[in-house]
Amino acid sequence: MNAPLIVAVPAKGRLQENAEAFFARAGLTLMKPRGARDYRGAIAGLDGVEVAYLSAAEITSQLAVGGVHLGVTGEDLVREMIPDADKRVVFIEGLGFGFANVVVAVPQAWIDVRTMADIDDVATAFRHHHERKMRVATKYINLTRDFFSSHGVIDYRIVESSGATEGAPTAGTAEMIVDITTSGATLAANGLKVVEDGTILRSQANLVAARKAAWGKTERDLARVILDRVAAQARARAFREVRARFAAGTDMLVENAKQKFTIETPFGGPTSSGMLILHCPPDQVYGLTSFLRESGAEAVAVADLDYVFSRDNPLYAKLEAGLAR
Amino acid sequence: MDASVATQRKEPDARAETLVASYERAGYVRVAPPMLQPAEPFLDLSGEDIRRRMYLTTAPDGGEFCLRPDLTIPVSRDYLASSSAGNAAGYCYLGPVFRYRADAPAEFLQVGIESFGRSDKAAADAEMLSLGLEATAHYGLASPDIQIGDVALFASLIAGLDLPPAWKRRLIKDFNRKSNLAQDLDRLVLGGNNARPEYQGVLAALAGSDPNGAHALITDLLSIAGINAVGGRSVGEIAGRFLEQSALGASAKLPQEVRGLIERFLAIQGNPDEAAADLRALAHDSRMTPALAPALDHFESRTGFLEARGVDVKRVRFSTAFGRGFDYYTGLVFELTDPKRTGDPLVAGGRYDDLLTRLGAPDPIAAVGFAVWIERLALYGGVS
Repeated sequence: MNAPLIVAVPAKGRLQENAEAFFARAGLTLMKPRGARDYRGAIAGLDGVEVAYLSAAEITSQLAVGGVHLGVTGEDLVREMIPDADKRVVFIEGLGFGFANVVVAVPQAWIDVRTMADIDDVATAFRHHHERKMRVATKYINLTRDFFSSHGVIDYRIVESSGATEGAPTAGTAEMIVDITTSGATLAANGLKVVEDGTILRSQANLVAARKAAWGKTERDLARVILDRVAAQARARAFREVRARFAAGTDMLVENAKQKFTIETPFGGPTSSGMLILHCPPDQVYGLTSFLRESGAEAVAVADLDYVFSRDNPLYAKLEAGLAR
Repeated sequence: MDASVATQRKEPDARAETLVASYERAGYVRVAPPMLQPAEPFLDLSGEDIRRRMYLTTAPDGGEFCLRPDLTIPVSRDYLASSSAGNAAGYCYLGPVFRYRADAPAEFLQVGIESFGRSDKAAADAEMLSLGLEATAHYGLASPDIQIGDVALFASLIAGLDLPPAWKRRLIKDFNRKSNLAQDLDRLVLGGNNARPEYQGVLAALAGSDPNGAHALITDLLSIAGINAVGGRSVGEIAGRFLEQSALGASAKLPQEVRGLIERFLAIQGNPDEAAADLRALAHDSRMTPALAPALDHFESRTGFLEARGVDVKRVRFSTAFGRGFDYYTGLVFELTDPKRTGDPLVAGGRYDDLLTRLGAPDPIAAVGFAVWIERLALYGGVS
């Protein structure tokens, strides 16, 4: 028997809840057959898949070396921990949770600093004034170095910080920081502001595949099933189903609608009885329903979708392309 | 197994041993600094970019250490800690250094020399280059390409220009980081200050005021905004920067002729005699002879010492732009390469007169040296 496909999922906290909810929405129920404290699990009804519960950092390092096939982790960690990340992993899909921006933040009192160009200038002046380099507290050492380098900033030192980074300037252990923020509230509470062009990365939880893992036929087949369901769920989430019935005069109706709205016609044009089913992004639903009624629809019904399966499997295609790269 | 880590213990390189022995006979004391070094001096002096190539480790008490990525800083530190500190002293070494390289072993051998405290700088420069040439000859490459630069020339040019200090500081920094110089010249020539419109009011309010007035205005602005704590930089520093920008705004544009001068300067290259003639002409045309003369005299004196040591200076390629982006050099920069192979230097070195002060020396100490990449030379056949 081949080694099973290993899917790594965060072992605790909000990230675990969100990841489990995400898989559940895709009809993939994560189980811990040997009890809640076990760090190995399975997916109900899908033999050959092992779920590994790990910390987000461990998931990332396992993805780098191919110790797991698929994993849920933040893009920030992947970019920070894996040099040349795109050579080692394939980003398959942003999962819509775990949003965080990695940003450069300075004390609000630095009213003369708005951009990275200001930081460059200030850093050099700082070295001349203080005979030492400005310190940047962060746990994102690699992201910081690459970003500062891309802005030509050289007069700085990184101070590694593993927690409460936003307190470093007040504590006097650094002059500025690079950290994650969601709303900026914690930064503001610590008297810091984000530099205008200082957003290094807009991160969210991602489904990531390891290029170095063993990808035999069994593993690929299992991944295809998982990604098919994830894609069906993702597509369902992106659309509402709009049903309408027309008594007559439906020539060109679909073509006109397609020009006005980004809709899809999963089942083709109207049936002989005048029924038409469209898939429409949520923010265009009201525009579309008005248009359909103006075009002669007797009634329009809108409903949420659970799954939309189609013959193609875009996420699996992405995996295949990424592995072949 | 990580391919970047050497897995086999190699036999000591006999040719490297005889090379370093020849440096000992030339009067350089052989030293062997510890492999494990405090990380701080390397990160501080070479910049954060070197971190990606370093093997770092943390001691139980929290101190950050590294496997030495070069021997210049370790030898310099040992010299400063010794009783010879401040006096003329020369050292040579043979040993491994450690740098992450994606496609080559992380541990590799270097032979090198560091020479401290010699006041006859031109002669010392020439001696380093000629001892570097002995290394390639020792491995059977008698006529490598010799590329040299001299970063003191650019520093003298900028120092002699009639520009606000902030612009000088920026041009020197741009020179050191390779990119940006052309872009920055464009921006300075197009003129004005780089402040965003939101600043214009503050800058106008500050125009012509003294540091005390500026300090008071910034203190008031912070207080109005409800900002009490000032982290890292003082109100005086923030006020000072606004004043500087205000002054830059008033003095408007980098004159087109200054830009032309910098570009003409950076285009100069050729053998040292041709380049010196071009530089003298540039200094004369721009009435900058007094500013450039000391660096040029040193440059020409060095060429003389090279000839005296039997180096064919017609074969030396000099460029004013060579040496940009190198870490801590202050004068001569040189590289020896194989004319039949492209890329990586076989021998590289230069003058770094600021390094020892930055490592804590109370007074400036002249320093010059070079390193030989043994594994690159080991490809060559025989001893000459």
